[in-house]
Amino acid sequence: MNKLVYLVPLFPLIGFLINGLGRKSLSKSLIGIIGSTTILASFVVSVFLFMDVKAHGASVVTAFNFINIDTFKVAFAFQVDQLSSLFLLIITGIGFLIHVYSTAYMHEEKAEHFGRYFAYLNLFVFSMLLLVLGANYVIMFIGWEGVGLCSYLLIGFWFKNNNYNYAAKKAFVMNRIGDLGFLLAVFWLIAKLGTVNYADVFAAANTLSKFDVTAITLLLFVGAMGKSAQIPLYTWLPDAMAGPTPVSALIHAATMVTAGIYMIARSNVLFSMSEVTMNLVAIIGLATALLSATIAIKQNDIKKVLAYSTVSQLGYMFLGLGVGAYTGAVFHVMTHAFFKALLFLGAGSVIHAMHHEQDIRNMGGLKKKLPITHATFLLACIAIAGIPPFSGFFSKDEILAAAYAHNPIYWGLGVAGAAMTAFYMFRLYATTFLGNFRGTHDQEHHLHESPKAMTIPLIILSILSVVGGLIGIPEILGGHHELHHYLSPILISEKAHHIEHSTEYMLMAISVAIAALAVIFAIVRFSKKPELKDATGIAKAMENKWYVDELYDAAIVRPLEAVAVFFKNIIEKSGIDAFVNGVGKFVNYSSRQLRLVQSGQVGNYILIMVLSIVIFILLWFYDAGIIRLVDKFF
Amino acid sequence: MNAIIFSALLGVVMMFSGILTTNKQAIKNIALVCLTLLLVANLANHYEWYSIKIDTKQMFSFGKYGYFFNTIAITATLLYVFVSGDDIVKVGSYGAEYFALIFFVLCGVTILSSYNNLLMLFLGIEIMTIPLYILTGSDKKNLHSNEAALKYFLMGAFSTGIMLMGIALLYGSSGSFGIESIVNNTSITLMKVPILEVIGLMFVFVSMLFKVSAAPFHFWTPDVYDGAPSVFTSFMATIVKSAGFIALITLFANKSEELGKLWNILLVIVIIATLLVGNITAVFQQSVKRMLAYSSIAQAGFMLFALYSRNEIARDGILLYTTAYSLATIGTFAILIKMEDHSLDGYNGLAKSQPLLAATQTIFLFSLAGIPLTAGFFAKYFMLASVIRTGGNAAIYLVIIGVLFAAVSLYYYFKVIQAMYFKEGNAATTKITPSFKFALLLLAFLIILFGVMPDALLGLFYF
Repeated sequence: MNKLVYLVPLFPLIGFLINGLGRKSLSKSLIGIIGSTTILASFVVSVFLFMDVKAHGASVVTAFNFINIDTFKVAFAFQVDQLSSLFLLIITGIGFLIHVYSTAYMHEEKAEHFGRYFAYLNLFVFSMLLLVLGANYVIMFIGWEGVGLCSYLLIGFWFKNNNYNYAAKKAFVMNRIGDLGFLLAVFWLIAKLGTVNYADVFAAANTLSKFDVTAITLLLFVGAMGKSAQIPLYTWLPDAMAGPTPVSALIHAATMVTAGIYMIARSNVLFSMSEVTMNLVAIIGLATALLSATIAIKQNDIKKVLAYSTVSQLGYMFLGLGVGAYTGAVFHVMTHAFFKALLFLGAGSVIHAMHHEQDIRNMGGLKKKLPITHATFLLACIAIAGIPPFSGFFSKDEILAAAYAHNPIYWGLGVAGAAMTAFYMFRLYATTFLGNFRGTHDQEHHLHESPKAMTIPLIILSILSVVGGLIGIPEILGGHHELHHYLSPILISEKAHHIEHSTEYMLMAISVAIAALAVIFAIVRFSKKPELKDATGIAKAMENKWYVDELYDAAIVRPLEAVAVFFKNIIEKSGIDAFVNGVGKFVNYSSRQLRLVQSGQVGNYILIMVLSIVIFILLWFYDAGIIRLVDKFF
Repeated sequence: MNAIIFSALLGVVMMFSGILTTNKQAIKNIALVCLTLLLVANLANHYEWYSIKIDTKQMFSFGKYGYFFNTIAITATLLYVFVSGDDIVKVGSYGAEYFALIFFVLCGVTILSSYNNLLMLFLGIEIMTIPLYILTGSDKKNLHSNEAALKYFLMGAFSTGIMLMGIALLYGSSGSFGIESIVNNTSITLMKVPILEVIGLMFVFVSMLFKVSAAPFHFWTPDVYDGAPSVFTSFMATIVKSAGFIALITLFANKSEELGKLWNILLVIVIIATLLVGNITAVFQQSVKRMLAYSSIAQAGFMLFALYSRNEIARDGILLYTTAYSLATIGTFAILIKMEDHSLDGYNGLAKSQPLLAATQTIFLFSLAGIPLTAGFFAKYFMLASVIRTGGNAAIYLVIIGVLFAAVSLYYYFKVIQAMYFKEGNAATTKITPSFKFALLLLAFLIILFGVMPDALLGLFYF
């Protein structure tokens, strides 16, 4: 049964090859069908695998030997276990919906670009599946790099706009910084343990010294920072919104950016061994969650709000990882994938209806014109705000409860962030869908609900957003936490929550109450008269993202450029170039001189030959002096 | 033995075929058939299917190494005739005779690959060079050709004189012409300074250096290569030069102990001088033909590394080197012959008018320069590796010098590529036939094949 695992990444790869090679000859509808059905096929196989794992447990399937150097071996192997099968379902399931959605959303593109789009998207799914399925860090790294590449290609999909290209480049460079950390960690593992297989690494983990574990996990975390957009490497994600909206939904919200969480959850054995790293993960996660939440409050671009919200939610997941709530983090990955994909697709539907208008100040009152989009968007907002019994509540609550057990301050800050989340999401909702329409007359005239290929994925995702949390109902609410039991074989047992049930009820009530208040406040505040004026003071700083981009520019980019200019002008031009050209000139000069020896006179030639023979013979016999001297040099 | 007898006989056959037919195409085809016969005869020796047995009284010592070199030389000649055969018969009005002379040269080559006696060495050298004097002057109405032939003959006679003198001295000291007996008494001891042996050996050595155009005995090379008809320059620069190296290697192989340090110092001086003269002078040449003449000196410098190290790697490496060098040089000259203008500027824009010629030419030049994925890379690699294997500081310095000069060689080889690809112009060529293109592709393919799998060639040797 689990031999079928080959098929899971194989289908998208085939789709990529067909769409990539046939993009100029295939029709749009065929491209769309190929792109979507390959993912659907992967999804079906993933479901079987999931069932199989549930019934028979985990296994490793080796395809072939990938690298073979002396005793160091890397197999091209797939890890089929609880964690990876769950991720498979998320990736292929949501991936399929977004592919279907894309067939309508990207319909205006020329066939060639349409094919390119689906080829990239299939390649992305292939890479993401490889990342999740790999049974060692090297295979994971292949997928890790592959998704980075696809992210770059898709952010810069409309490559005629140079700003988009810059955004793509920024994403790529930021990710590369993280990748370096990942690579170093893998090298470190190889140096210390001589293996990269998960099973072997985790089995031998306790032979590592404290310092090694801390260094390896910190470096891995640097990789996660890049891919999952955490401080200080988060600034690429909001810019990544330059890509088509379904891409933002799939790559920059639901799947790729959770790769960091997957990787840390996968390496939970290592991370749990290092107190330092765990604390750092929690603090960075919390700081990211709060910082990006404050920025999201003042953004006016519908996708930017969602982007910062994504960064913020990722921060919560890292908080969960940092306090040892691995299940909570994975749970939140799943529910977040549902409602954030839904939010992005809903935003895409709005943008589609508004003819590529993204500024929410020019929207308003879309409730009547886009009924399905509105309803599903509202459900997603409730889910992300953490109102029970929607999915976001359960996962976020689990993380917050674990945070409280670890340190009540984490909990307090986490709840503050959750309140901000509820606030900016409903600010977004109210400004976009409530009130009066503020766009141009022309836009109003063309407002329309999106086609079925877009609305059906929205409906499916909204159902998932509502009920997705039910697989993780905590015991105090009378549930069994199915997910926890399912994942328990591979995630080491979390620290027991030493919280009284009464305390837990109270915490839950407080966070729900605060979130509800924020929701009501936001609706009341923004539904009638949204803020249209430019912000001032602190709000302005928030609107400008706390000037973090400018700070990076001044602190890192400019000094680097100055060094580069120095090297280019001083070292390169007057140092290296001068030397290199000097050698060339010298050779040329000697050539001109040496050429003159070739006089064309046979007499001269023979004279030189005879003299040479004489010298040779003298050299032979004169075994003192000159010969010893020559001998010294050679 | 087969190859020696057959090459002489087939040479005579070629000569008489000139009486039967004057059709140039037919003559070329007869030559190709005869060369194939010769190749088969040699392979029959190599794989012990059939060999003519004559008691040579230890004049020869036949072995796989010699047979394998014969195979390389004959195959290279076959390819050479295949690529440039049409141009050989065009040089003058005696097509068949040119081929006959080429066969006689091959007879000398095959003697040189298996000799075991100084007299045979002398015979081989003479049989090989005398036809070359004629071939050099074969363009009878061209003053340059005549001048080159005369110069070649004068200096060749001079070097032959030196060689004979050396052999006489060696005979005088040891009473034998066998090569085992000669080099054993040449180390200086307290008891005896072996003047006769040393000077005799030195003379033989120097005259051999002359044949392979090592500095400072290279002066004939640029003038003769430049003056001779290009087709014959191609032959001289490849097969003939390779044979000279095999003769040198045979003379000095496995005698490192006796030769001692002093020989190495002389060799180092010769190697550096050869690399210097060849590479540096080539830089300034404006004529591609003359540049190739100097480049052949530079390549000789690299082949001399094998003589310096005299170990197993060197013995294998020199075979690979001669193959790689011969293939690339034959191809380069074949294209040169087709060019209307032999100067560098004549190649301007060749990539546009004859893309295939330009592409194969680029591969040939890559191989000559030693760029990876071409046979030339591994050829140079084996040479340097053999030197490293000898150990010692001198080896390291020698390798560094070799690499530096290889870098210089990139300059003049790439000037041709630059002219073909990056300069405007309409490089004029004479008529290019499809079979010519095919032959070039075949050469390029072999170069890449041996560049990717050098074992393919060396494997044949150990087969």
